[in-house]
Amino acid sequence: MSYFVVGYYAMLIGASCLAAHFKQRSLFLLLFSLTLVSFVMGIIGGAPALWFVTVGAGLIALAAGTSYAFREFLVTIAPPETAKELRTAPLTAAFGLFVIFTCAIAMVFADLIAPYGEAEVISSAFAPPDENLLLGADQLGRDIFSRLIYGARNTVGLALAATALAFIMGALAGLYAATKGGMFDQAMGRIADIIMSVPSLIFALLMLSIFGTNLAILVIIVAIIYSPRVFRLTRAVAGNVVVMDYIEAAKLRGEGTWYLIRKEILPNSTAPLIAEFGLEFCFVFLLIAGLSFLGLGIQPPTADWGSMVRENATLISFGDITPLIPAGAIALLTVAVNFVVDWMLFRSSGLKE
Amino acid sequence: MSPVIIIVLKRLGLGLLTLFAISILIFFAVEMLPGDIAQAVLGQGATEENLAALREKLGLDQPAPVRYLQWLSGALVGDFGTSLVSGERVSEAISGRFTNTLFLAAYAAVIAVPVAIILGIIVALLRETLFDRVSNILALTAISSPEFFLGYILILVFAVNMGAFPAIARLSGDLSFLELLHRTFLPALTMVLVVVAHMMRMTRAAIINLLASPYIEMARLKGAPPWKVIVHHALPNAWAPIINVVALNLAYLVTGVVLVEVVFVYPGIGQLLVDAVSKRDFPIVQACCLIFAATFILLNLAADVGAILTNPRLRHPK
Amino acid sequence: MPSKKKEVLLRIEDLRIEGFSNETWIEIVHGVNLTLHRGEVLGLIGESGAGKSTIGLAAMGFARDGCRISGGSVEFDGMELTTTPQSALRALRGSRIAYVAQSAAASFNPAHKIIDQHTEAPLHYRIKKRLEAQEDAMELYERLRLPNPGEIGFRYPHQVSGGQLQRAMTAMAMACRPDLIIFDEPTTALDVTTQIEVLAAIRDIVEQFDTAAIYITHDLAVVAQMADKIKVLLKGHEVEEAATESMLDSPKEDYTKSLWAVRSFRREQKSPPGDDAVPVISVQGIDAAYGDAKVLEDVSFAVHAGMTVAVVGESGSGKSTAARCITGLLPPLTGQILFNGTPLPPRYRDRTKEQLRQAQMIYQMADTALNPKVRISDIIGRPAEFYGGLKGAKLKNRVDELLDLIELEPSKFYHRYPPELSGGQKQRIGIARALAAEPAFIICDEVTSALDQLVAEGILKLLDRLQDELNLAYMFITHDLATVRAIADHVVVMQKGRVVEQGPKTEMFTPPHHPYTDLLLSSVPEMDPNWLTTLLEERGVDNIGEAAKV
Repeated sequence: MSYFVVGYYAMLIGASCLAAHFKQRSLFLLLFSLTLVSFVMGIIGGAPALWFVTVGAGLIALAAGTSYAFREFLVTIAPPETAKELRTAPLTAAFGLFVIFTCAIAMVFADLIAPYGEAEVISSAFAPPDENLLLGADQLGRDIFSRLIYGARNTVGLALAATALAFIMGALAGLYAATKGGMFDQAMGRIADIIMSVPSLIFALLMLSIFGTNLAILVIIVAIIYSPRVFRLTRAVAGNVVVMDYIEAAKLRGEGTWYLIRKEILPNSTAPLIAEFGLEFCFVFLLIAGLSFLGLGIQPPTADWGSMVRENATLISFGDITPLIPAGAIALLTVAVNFVVDWMLFRSSGLKE
Repeated sequence: MSPVIIIVLKRLGLGLLTLFAISILIFFAVEMLPGDIAQAVLGQGATEENLAALREKLGLDQPAPVRYLQWLSGALVGDFGTSLVSGERVSEAISGRFTNTLFLAAYAAVIAVPVAIILGIIVALLRETLFDRVSNILALTAISSPEFFLGYILILVFAVNMGAFPAIARLSGDLSFLELLHRTFLPALTMVLVVVAHMMRMTRAAIINLLASPYIEMARLKGAPPWKVIVHHALPNAWAPIINVVALNLAYLVTGVVLVEVVFVYPGIGQLLVDAVSKRDFPIVQACCLIFAATFILLNLAADVGAILTNPRLRHPK
Repeated sequence: MPSKKKEVLLRIEDLRIEGFSNETWIEIVHGVNLTLHRGEVLGLIGESGAGKSTIGLAAMGFARDGCRISGGSVEFDGMELTTTPQSALRALRGSRIAYVAQSAAASFNPAHKIIDQHTEAPLHYRIKKRLEAQEDAMELYERLRLPNPGEIGFRYPHQVSGGQLQRAMTAMAMACRPDLIIFDEPTTALDVTTQIEVLAAIRDIVEQFDTAAIYITHDLAVVAQMADKIKVLLKGHEVEEAATESMLDSPKEDYTKSLWAVRSFRREQKSPPGDDAVPVISVQGIDAAYGDAKVLEDVSFAVHAGMTVAVVGESGSGKSTAARCITGLLPPLTGQILFNGTPLPPRYRDRTKEQLRQAQMIYQMADTALNPKVRISDIIGRPAEFYGGLKGAKLKNRVDELLDLIELEPSKFYHRYPPELSGGQKQRIGIARALAAEPAFIICDEVTSALDQLVAEGILKLLDRLQDELNLAYMFITHDLATVRAIADHVVVMQKGRVVEQGPKTEMFTPPHHPYTDLLLSSVPEMDPNWLTTLLEERGVDNIGEAAKV
């Protein structure tokens, strides 16, 4: 038994005892269950498994620390109203904001940050990381780090464009259908039902097989696939607003549909719609990444996270984690957006009471 | 006839109608091709004779609605025509692979559904504790991760590092059932992770939504212990949303399998579809899409019928 | 009722409860004391926000999510509930202390049969076997005069009417023969004619089993029938407590006196207009339906300038539907609506801006009638801008003028949003919005029923003053006869979509009446503690349920 293993258990048990002594019940439960799990993991996986736990715990602590600092930073620079809300944000939401912020920086300043061009061949294939190549080279000898930075711009930008388009189409139709009702509402509802009854990835594959892979077509197809979801949600949210007496009062006043949408309905639907934009972005982003992974999305040599996974996939069988890096980037950004959306949904549901 | 049967029949009719609309969509989407199928398959360099021959072989001289009816009547008896690339019967290419896909989906579902619902109930019971928060974070992470991320992590850990399970799920004819389960464990686990997280969150939400109802407060004021409040009072009223979520996820298991099949090189219908799309083999694309859409609609239909049947107001009319 | 000198069952001392809002705990009940003897009924009375329900639940050692008992003691039969562990508290609930909720329809679980919910507590505490418990339930149903006591329990909650459910819930509370029952506004959601049955049933069963009870309500007349003693609460503070009779005869505190005095506002009836006067709104023989369900049949009445027509009826009588027909939201099948003698197009979409301007509406729920995301100045200013074309300084002057008219200070309210206002202030903004259009006719749809009595009276007085100043014609939709007495000139009684009887107010409140009007009038609780007893004797006990079904 190495010093590491002994120290590991001593630390955990000591911390559990301290937590129990100071009546931190949930902390104690967490630490002690971790101890028990470690016993099992230690027996099965030996010291490496425990190293894995230690590194994982360190990473989580690092993320929590960063999130905490970032939240304090936001609270300090934000105007008082926003600051008050930010102060109540959970660490997960702060973490999400931090990741989104970082990603946005990478998108905007990709040219400055990336040391090499996105299609620039600078080394041999699969070169290992060194001081020039932060994360090594890919199958053609291009810098993976640079491609990751450019990928943020390409993949995320494409997903944002598709989400925005889906949102404009879906939300407008939903607001109009809720306000007008009648035939338009019925017809749009049916169309949405039909589009939604084809699984999104399958629909995308069908359309791509017909129209070929082309960025503009990709954006339009993805927007069409996801706009019915936006339509349904907007229709439901606006539907709850439309039954309010103040809408009836405005209708009886003789106000037009556009006035009703703009002045009466929209201001009361923004919170759920913003949250939905986040959710929708996650779906779109994962779909586009999936298509790229299948080789049917963004085409080489453009750097893109999904196709980077595909290009380097073979490395995984040699125990190399390179293909996991772009995949992890996709997961990280999606998690971040989901964390923020989760917080927003919790807030808006909490405000209802 | 009881009102429930009428509602169920109406729902079935609507489902059939949707399926019909989908078949039109799938067939005529291909008609929207710039040029026609023959042009698309043979490409720019094709000679007039080759084009004409292919057009005749595909029956393109007939008007589209006629060809649609032929295609649909064929599809109804399982005949989807022949592949443009290999010349094989589409039905033969699909049938074995479809069984494989269904097997994988069923494998994942058998693990995922009970685990997710039980976890959802436990999390609802322990709401707003540390356990709830940690499981919420884990669930969000699993939902947000693309299938290939989870898949490759599992390969790295279980196949490459530990060597416990094969990284590639090749199926050969004479595998025993246990061997089959062992070989397909990693792809099934990948799907289980995504689906459990989603179902668990929705089950929790469905139950917690009900906890503010006056009848839950009444149950508490009658002295019912917390587990009984959840299991006996909240759960029976939460079935409709839970069934919906289960059906949605089962549908996902069948259709979202495409990415997982590619990661694990699993011989399912999803991989066939991806190959067909890149080769522009339209009969196979159409057939796969129709099968996926039909499964999806069928499961949603089952969910709606299930929700109707568990609604006490509909089950016991006035 | 003689006051009973028995052992103390419940003693609450200096009870303090906090509620969680805006990230902090705020005290909402500030030190309330209460003593209840065995078999005694205490009435807890107060307006919304007085903390009645919170105190009632605290008597069971229960605090809703987001509330906590922060101080004082609750001693039930020698047991201190604030320090008792949850499991021991649970063992009391349903067995020794039971609860009857406001809305029985929402408080019965839709997924289980009524009798299974009834027997849950006795089975859980192993007091009875299933069959015994079911037989006992049926016996209680019979005592509570539910129809088909042997069978009704085997139905699901949605298959039973509201008044019957409320009695079934009282039976459920009785299942373990508790020492104490908390009644939390058990008749508030019911129509007056149904309320009588439930009141009589509750009173009988509490007396039969000699159960102690805390009866929570905002209705003085109701509590006068039920309670041995009354405690008045205001914003979590105790105002005063006394035996029912002395409380009614000689309230001590000013607040209590003001509550008692509310019902005194009564406006003189104006003389009816001459025969040749053209009514502002004339409803002539309208029929209306939602889909296949007919909701109005041959409804006719007229509203004259400067006069108030009260349309009275219970829920489902079609009074609100009549308003929807007048505004054009629901086009009538037959018949027509005349404005100053000229027919209005049946659909509001087909009406001219001028026609729309002339008829305005004030809603019951000010919360949903005002857009929470729009400033007060815009809510009131929009009609003035839309119809009158006012802009800039002129518009601002007009809004100030309107705010003055509804007795709200312009400088304080101009820039605010509806959620920042109190219920009464919101309702005043609703009135100002209607006035901004300068209409001839206003529909008031239950405008006071969501408000506390004092505030409601302020609104009625305001509406009355505005009518005199602006010569407005009002159509007042209400189920509350006290409001009718206060403000109406002409009364229209509706039942099941038909006008049963109509005439000037003084005529309508003097016999002889149509039987339904009679039932409606006699069912309104009065402040006399013997009112219910007398009424039951008059009607005959077995008849109460039947009378409501005429």
